[in-house]
Amino acid sequence: MSSFQELTLKLSEFWAREGCVLQQPYDLEVGAGTMHPDTFLRVLGPEPWRVAYAQPSRRPADARYGENPFRLGKHYQFQVVLKPSPPDIQQLYVDSLAAIGVDLAVHDLRFEEDNWEAPTLGAWGVGWQVMLDGMEITQFTYFQQAGGMTLDPISAEITYGLERLTMFLGLSRSVYGIDWVPGGIDYGAVRHQDEVELSRYYFEVADIGYLRAQFDGAEAEAERCLEVDLVLPAYEHALKCSHAFNVLDARGAVSVTERVALIKRVRDLAVACANGYVASRERLGFPLLPGTPEERRAAAMVEAVDGEG
Amino acid sequence: MAKGELLLEIRCEEIPARMLSAGIRGLATRLFEELMGTSLGPREVETGITPRRLVVFLKGIPEREPERDEELQGPPASAAYDAEGKPTRAAEGFAKRCGVEVEALRRVETEKGEYVVAVQHHEGRSAREVLAELIPRLILEIPWPKTMRWGEGSGPFVRPVHGVVALFEGEVVPFELLGVASGDTTVGHPRLSPEPFRVRGSADYRRKLSRRGIEVRVDRRREVLAEGMAKAAEELGGSLVEDDELLDRLAAICEVPGIVEGRFEPELLGLPREVLTTSLRDHQSALAVESDGELLPAFLTVMDRPDDPAGRVRAGNEWVVAARLEDARFFWQEDRKVALAERVDQLQNLTFHAALGSYAEKAGRIRDLADEICERLGWEVEREAAREAGLLLKADLTTEMVKEFTSLQGVMGGVYAREEGYPEAIWRAIYDQYRPTSVEDPVPNGRVGMAVAVADRIDTMVGFFGRGMKPKGSKDPFGLRRAAQGVVRILLEGGLDLDIDLVAARAARLYGERLRAEAGEVLSDLRPFFDDRVRYILGRRGFAFDEIEAGLAVGAADLPDLAARVEALHDARHESAFLSVVLAAKRILNILKGSPEYEFHAERLVEPAEKDLYDGARRLKSEVEAAEGVKDYRSSLKHIGEFAEILDRFFVEVLVMDENRDLKENRIALLQLIHRTPSRTARLTEMVVDRAEHRARSEGPETEG
Repeated sequence: MSSFQELTLKLSEFWAREGCVLQQPYDLEVGAGTMHPDTFLRVLGPEPWRVAYAQPSRRPADARYGENPFRLGKHYQFQVVLKPSPPDIQQLYVDSLAAIGVDLAVHDLRFEEDNWEAPTLGAWGVGWQVMLDGMEITQFTYFQQAGGMTLDPISAEITYGLERLTMFLGLSRSVYGIDWVPGGIDYGAVRHQDEVELSRYYFEVADIGYLRAQFDGAEAEAERCLEVDLVLPAYEHALKCSHAFNVLDARGAVSVTERVALIKRVRDLAVACANGYVASRERLGFPLLPGTPEERRAAAMVEAVDGEG
Repeated sequence: MAKGELLLEIRCEEIPARMLSAGIRGLATRLFEELMGTSLGPREVETGITPRRLVVFLKGIPEREPERDEELQGPPASAAYDAEGKPTRAAEGFAKRCGVEVEALRRVETEKGEYVVAVQHHEGRSAREVLAELIPRLILEIPWPKTMRWGEGSGPFVRPVHGVVALFEGEVVPFELLGVASGDTTVGHPRLSPEPFRVRGSADYRRKLSRRGIEVRVDRRREVLAEGMAKAAEELGGSLVEDDELLDRLAAICEVPGIVEGRFEPELLGLPREVLTTSLRDHQSALAVESDGELLPAFLTVMDRPDDPAGRVRAGNEWVVAARLEDARFFWQEDRKVALAERVDQLQNLTFHAALGSYAEKAGRIRDLADEICERLGWEVEREAAREAGLLLKADLTTEMVKEFTSLQGVMGGVYAREEGYPEAIWRAIYDQYRPTSVEDPVPNGRVGMAVAVADRIDTMVGFFGRGMKPKGSKDPFGLRRAAQGVVRILLEGGLDLDIDLVAARAARLYGERLRAEAGEVLSDLRPFFDDRVRYILGRRGFAFDEIEAGLAVGAADLPDLAARVEALHDARHESAFLSVVLAAKRILNILKGSPEYEFHAERLVEPAEKDLYDGARRLKSEVEAAEGVKDYRSSLKHIGEFAEILDRFFVEVLVMDENRDLKENRIALLQLIHRTPSRTARLTEMVVDRAEHRARSEGPETEG
């Protein structure tokens, strides 16, 4: 039976071998691995990029006081981005399952349509939920737009739900019972108190006035940063807005109309950051493109001339 | 490989199941049409789909386009030849452009003078050549609901393309599709038989796939699946709870279909049947099994592999189903802690539409409209129940179960109401509120159910029409056409004499300030919208358009009455006497066109035929009135038919346009009188009469037909 940490380790090893930058989780609260700037910002613009990391992802509304065996207010996503998406990406993904011990000679694997959309990020993609024996274990997405911009090249994003995958491989009845360390300390021992306390905080204790002030303050700070072309600090504050919104929402403090307005404020920031990021990379000469800036300029000219011919 | 045979296979990453059928149909149809257009039409077209393949088999394609000569007009002969009759440079240039020798040019006489022409001979392209141009273009033109790009910007297509097999008579039709070259090599199932292999033609392709357990004909996969499932259900001691739509989907999502049989805890059978079947269907694409009308603790679904050697597939599916049903049980327990009546208050926080207020407001309006409907129909006994059901109709929107399974809205409210002990009239009205959900689905049973179902729909329609959100073209985001159709069917099938206009007017008043348009404006928009639904539904019942128009022209306030009139018309139209009347009515209409109104004087009638006509018309008026008074439209049309003889004799024996002005004006006045004779049955002049058919029928042996 797989343990939580072995799964993380094996996925890290597998994708590191495929040339991914093995990144660490972002050090701010985010709702999904996609919001990590190494996904959301790096998929923009022409530069190639490969990254993999485990990201603790906060969904305050899904918190259940540690009582529901399947739902968590914070879970871990293993996130992989390959830009541009290679032609054998599906096969690579299947190979990654073999690497974590899924023997496809005895399992049923299907790719069912599931398109992804994140209104707060002005982003959408096309792809599948990957079903292993009828269980959704991965979100597989070809990003088409982010920050309101049409993407080219296209990135493939693979998001494994680590808890679910571990549970499923062991057919465990509760997330808290899965091994974190093989044969040792379990998930409950590491995380249960965390879930209980965070649930109480999100649903009962969180101060609505404080959260609203936090949202407004972070929004103002993000806008100030954008004015002086500080894209990454601006984006961090947009993330803070997003998390404050999620907690307010879980607290039941957001009405239907306000909800739409708050989402729009976060999206406006995300879109501005995305645009600012592409501009900033362009000023740097898109340093991750192959070749020196001079070579690239020459190649671009040749291409332009060819294009006319 | 057979002569004239094309095999085309496009291999992609998994194409969404919902798009497969329409996608392949689109491709095959276009391919067939375009080939017909170049005289290369195939004799047979067959298609295949799996999640990863689009396949077209064509047979009987001619080898090449037919030869043909094309005549191209050149310069005038005067410019093409000099005085000695030698070709000029203009002639030489023209011949060169056409690719013919200058000696081959001919002179032709045209309206504008003499010109030279060149005859270009076209060999006709080979089928292979045409296919190489056609296929990649048509593949890219498949109208997918959603496309994507991948990699360095390849696409757009429904999913990334990995391979193309294109063989005409066993040889590759060369082309490139989105960076992939066509060839003769394909692969089997990605995990069971991934090694590439070559194919020589359609039969070889089918044989080699079949050896790998792959059947590309989706209807055949469906048959095998349905049989297998029926058998598995039998072995479980029951039978399948049929779900054709789900079976279609299951057949589409696998290329090597195997059946997964799973079980769940028997105590979960305490959940309502609707919840169990919906959870199994929506979450696990699984079918339930029943015996004697009771569900068994088992389910059936498919896997994309033939077997389950380690039992892992079954164990996995059971694990997920158990978790899902546990969730459902939790919702079932929690939801019942709050009564539906209390939930009506919570609807204040739920927006029906930003412009139209909350569901709490809607619930109030439905209650009042249902009350109004009962009052108008004289359903005094049901009024109170209809008010109550109307108010509770949307309460289940606040339940966890409906948030999880939106398709259970209504049904769930009905189930909870039943649990709370509401009378059957009320819980059933809530349960059936969305009926009819399809053309075949029945309308709600019982007066309370019909009243609230109509009230809900008219409220929705008046709201959206009143805010200018009407359906446009194929865009109908709020499902207003379906709503209108539901109302029409309920009124027709329930036999309800309910004037939609009056209910809609009340609905508009209930919305008050929320509507932007004036009530009168909303009603005048809604009327033709409903009439269109009436036309559609009566058309589906087999009535001709002119029968429906003739009926509609004299009113659609009472729909069952309209249906009865149209039906009587449908039956009467083939009687020759009736047809004569229609012809006479049209003739009268023509005579009267543009004529001023004259005063009629009975004493001025002179000819026996016109006196008979006047008497006949008076008799007819009272006969028709009497028949229509008891809604006997067959009799009313029969009386009208009997009038044919009198009318015909009048037109034969009497000259309307007499030289005597008094006589002429009086005869026109008589016709005006007849024309105005009120008939509530139909406006006869709307009927289309085929004179030839009429003659054939009245003279032929099938007169009584």
